[in-house]
Amino acid sequence: MIGRRFGVGAAVSLAFAVLGCGGGQTSINLFTTDWTDDNGASIDALRQKLARAQAKVAPGADVVVAVGGNADKLIGQPLAGGAKWTYAHPLSSRPVVAGGVVVAAGGGELFALDALSGKRLWVRPSGSLKVFGAGDDGNVTVITLSGATGSGSTLLAIARDGSVVRQIETDRILGTPAVLGGYAFVPWNSVYVSALDLAGGDEAARVVLREKTSRAWSSGGQIYFGEIGIFRFDEHIKDGPKNLASHISLPVRELPGSPKLMEPGTEVLGPAAEAPDRIRIFARPTPGGDTPLGIDDDRFYATYFRIAMGFEAKKGALKWVHTHGSDLIGGAAGPGSVVLCDDQGHVTSLDGGTGGVIADLDLGEAIKGCVVQVDSWKAAGAPAPVPPLAEQLSEALLNREAQLATAKRLLLRELANQKDDVATKTLVALASNDRTSPLILGEARQALADRRNGAQYMLDALAHHYDYLKDVLSPPPVGPMATALAAMNDSRAAPLLASHLLDTADTDDDVKRTAEALVRLATPAEAPALTQFFGMYRASAPSEDVEAAVVSVAQALVKVGGVNAQARVEAAMHDAQTLPNVRERLQAVVIVAPAEAADAGGDAVDAAAPKKK
Amino acid sequence: MRRMLALVLAGAVVAGGGTAATDAGAKPQKNKPAAEPQVQLPPGTVEKLRSGDDPTIKAALDDVRTAGKGAASVAPTIVDLLDRGVGAELTVAAIDTLGDLESPASSRVLAWYAVHRSPAVRQAAVKALARTKGPEAVAALRHALSDDDAMVRGIAATGLGSLKAKDAVRDLFTALDHKVGEAAASIGQLCSPAECEELTGKLGKLPFDVVTGGLDQVLFRPPAELDDDEKVKVIGRVRELGTEEANKFLRDVQKRWPPGWSSRVKQAIDQGVMATNGVSQ
Repeated sequence: MIGRRFGVGAAVSLAFAVLGCGGGQTSINLFTTDWTDDNGASIDALRQKLARAQAKVAPGADVVVAVGGNADKLIGQPLAGGAKWTYAHPLSSRPVVAGGVVVAAGGGELFALDALSGKRLWVRPSGSLKVFGAGDDGNVTVITLSGATGSGSTLLAIARDGSVVRQIETDRILGTPAVLGGYAFVPWNSVYVSALDLAGGDEAARVVLREKTSRAWSSGGQIYFGEIGIFRFDEHIKDGPKNLASHISLPVRELPGSPKLMEPGTEVLGPAAEAPDRIRIFARPTPGGDTPLGIDDDRFYATYFRIAMGFEAKKGALKWVHTHGSDLIGGAAGPGSVVLCDDQGHVTSLDGGTGGVIADLDLGEAIKGCVVQVDSWKAAGAPAPVPPLAEQLSEALLNREAQLATAKRLLLRELANQKDDVATKTLVALASNDRTSPLILGEARQALADRRNGAQYMLDALAHHYDYLKDVLSPPPVGPMATALAAMNDSRAAPLLASHLLDTADTDDDVKRTAEALVRLATPAEAPALTQFFGMYRASAPSEDVEAAVVSVAQALVKVGGVNAQARVEAAMHDAQTLPNVRERLQAVVIVAPAEAADAGGDAVDAAAPKKK
Repeated sequence: MRRMLALVLAGAVVAGGGTAATDAGAKPQKNKPAAEPQVQLPPGTVEKLRSGDDPTIKAALDDVRTAGKGAASVAPTIVDLLDRGVGAELTVAAIDTLGDLESPASSRVLAWYAVHRSPAVRQAAVKALARTKGPEAVAALRHALSDDDAMVRGIAATGLGSLKAKDAVRDLFTALDHKVGEAAASIGQLCSPAECEELTGKLGKLPFDVVTGGLDQVLFRPPAELDDDEKVKVIGRVRELGTEEANKFLRDVQKRWPPGWSSRVKQAIDQGVMATNGVSQ
């Protein structure tokens, strides 16, 4: 025993009255900071005691529990394929799956169901208390609830027969507990995990952890603590105060919506899923206690509305993207897969390695919320084949759902790093589509300009022009493609670019970049278009971009247009009607030009000569 | 300046057909067929056009515009001006001038400017092309039907009718379906019997005023171009509408029906007016 010993308090609280007697009641002041750190001695002693007693973590039910109807029905579906069950009851908070038990509250009652069958285990009056979290060791379920007085917390330990083994009220906010061998492990105050002896009501041990901790849970036969990262309850837990406990966290990387590994275990979640439930991370610690703590399967998963992503766990590299048919509102990482439920009532298992669908269960109705627990279940069957990552990214990026814009920014950057030609195709499509979110349009254009492959997709796109009668109301992203094609030195682009030079629907910036590309790519065949452009704008360019284009066009013209083109440019340089900015810069063109014309191999023709009739 | 030009014009030598307009200070052009009588331009007009000085060029263009088609001999100089490029204001003035000169040889450079980035320049160019004519003009106007500027599209549609560009009728139907209302009148000027019926079929689908803008053209086409049967069909379809606006349209046609034109069509118009009299919308 450490610190203070707490017995049954004299004060009988409102909650006590509501929940009723039946077991040991512990008064307030149990969770006190008036405590001397024992440097892990007590928690290590408890761990050894439990080991000697061969206390085993109860296996958790592999199950999906959904909130259906008008938040007045629970739907359970064992993942292994047992019969679906339903349980009608009003709900005031999200159900919690702990071990083999589902705990929920609503309608003034707290109740527990068998997770696999839906059979009611017990029900107790609870007033308006709401569930923070629960743990279970196969015999006793420990539940933390909101405080009876509107602040603080209530902890209840209830046996399978519904009797209250322990009731503790405190002005502290208690996190989600875990239970092992008759001890409840209760995180509180962000840094403490207290182990309560449920039989005696004592605080048997306490450990200080040097990272925010509000949850305790069991998985794969082990007990874990954490919130931001994961601590394992093993022989290193005594070193928690020295920050040397077994610990793992996910690599820091950008994720859409900035989800956390775990929501605080001190928050009451409403029965229906909200936005944060659609923006989640799922990860599972490596099972067993003998190996160094890591992330199982070297994978963690993130969801953003209808997009699910798989990441390599050490460095956070994106491995796959799954675009789902509807919003993903809950899930859990399991061995070799992630199990996700959507708001249409489908439960989909995705292969952790590839993101391919392994299994799909239908709950038979749209759902409001969803909780998944996977302890040992492994989805059977081979995952469906998936296309290369670039195509997965493309599918997600081309999804028209407006709310995905934030995720698309990240996916766009990932796509930009893909060498696959299909990435170019997608970037062209994104940059061409007038429905592409302005949030990603600029990045898509930049990524397109930086491409050095997929030229054929760009050439195909350049063949299109704005055409009112054909309902082509958005020109292709000419400027970025011009930049990329020039960098690739792809002369096939020259005639297409020349035609865009004279397309009034292209932006001034596109025209500027097209002209720049033509300096490199133009051939004598483009001289007429260059001549036309130069003539039309050298004295009347409507913007700085078009002025710059005129200068580039002059450069291209001198290079491929022969002596008449050179004379035309020189004449413009001396003509007062030529815009001053243009005239000034033409001098450099004319001075440099002869050498460049020679470099062109002497095949420049007099194609720029005006055709007089 | 204009007054001076008027005096010059008052004393202009009208030399009859077959010769081009002359610049009093320049050598007369040879081998230039001209339907218009030769017009004496103020001395030095060509030099002024080549002066490189904006006000001088503008004044010369004004002189040429005032002279009209008879000054077509200076068109190549203006073409050259646009070919080399001038400032925005002069560009429009030069284009307008070429339109006034109606020289087909100007169509090439006007087609250039039909794809200028300034909608005002494009509008001017397309308008001028409808007057300079030729295959290049037709091609440029067909292209301009797809312009992103509604005014350019409308002017192009009207221009294709003026140019009797029958090959463009399908494009004009597409334009009409894309809310280019001006296309209706041009279709009405150019349509074959089947195409005229297609236009009539737009009644009730497109705004009445838009469609009848084309049907009016159909009804007043010379009998040699379109026979009475087609016109009677058109009148019948309008009459079937039985609306006040149909009555108004038919009454208007009735009033304008040329004396001596088909009495059968006239009778159909009269009956249509009577049948739709007194209806309310």
